[in-house]
Amino acid sequence: MAGKVRPPPELVREWEREDEEFRELRRRSADWKFIEGLEPRARLALLAYIETGDRYLAAKLAGLTLGEFDELRVKAGVVCVT
Amino acid sequence: MLGVVDACFLIDWSRYRRRELLASLFEAILVHEEVLAQLRSPSAIDFASRLLARGVLRLYPWSTAEEELYIQLRDEVALDPRIPSLERPDLLCLVIAHRTGATLLTENLGVLRVVQFHPAYSRVTAWTALEVLEQLVYRGLVEVGSAEEFLNIISEYCEDTKHVFSSKRMKDVVERVRAWLGR
Repeated sequence: MAGKVRPPPELVREWEREDEEFRELRRRSADWKFIEGLEPRARLALLAYIETGDRYLAAKLAGLTLGEFDELRVKAGVVCVT
Repeated sequence: MLGVVDACFLIDWSRYRRRELLASLFEAILVHEEVLAQLRSPSAIDFASRLLARGVLRLYPWSTAEEELYIQLRDEVALDPRIPSLERPDLLCLVIAHRTGATLLTENLGVLRVVQFHPAYSRVTAWTALEVLEQLVYRGLVEVGSAEEFLNIISEYCEDTKHVFSSKRMKDVVERVRAWLGR
């Protein structure tokens, strides 16, 4: 097995700052009323997406493909940030 | 120019009102069959189908050697909690970009982070939609007369796709476009 390739600490600090900015943008953009009205699995997936920004994780939690989850994300008004 | 595209980019870009311009920027865009399998929305399937029919989007012939590169890359980075969303299809795209020299079109934050530090994969050129919009300006495919007009182009993209960009990357790209306009 290959060894781990680790990012330098200064880059990790930059990512942490970036993660906080992106999380706040997702929280602010969300249509919370729409999200609260969803069935539990879809609601959990969107909450996970808002907190982590991980579309794959969220799609798996929702039991959807990436494309299907993204349709849900757009309906919920949650922005994707890169 | 040669590109390779992942599902996140295709899904978002297919909602953009100027999506057809992508085919003007790239002679060919490679795609892995596992990326195509992720598409479900009508807009993404329709856009990919039309690019395939025109010969712009091309299925990449994946090999055993590339599978080994994927496994090595996965073992090196995929379990790092600071790098999100490193799923197989998007790492395959990164391997294809590394092998072919194609520009990687991705909206996967994890992949963008790997390219920032990995000794081998930092040679890959990775663009999000923001850099694609920037390149469309440089190549005269989208005409803007000021940085403000370029910001309007970005706003159109954000409005159509529900996709926004980090403040740092926005600042950097607007500075580059402003310098280009003043050349």
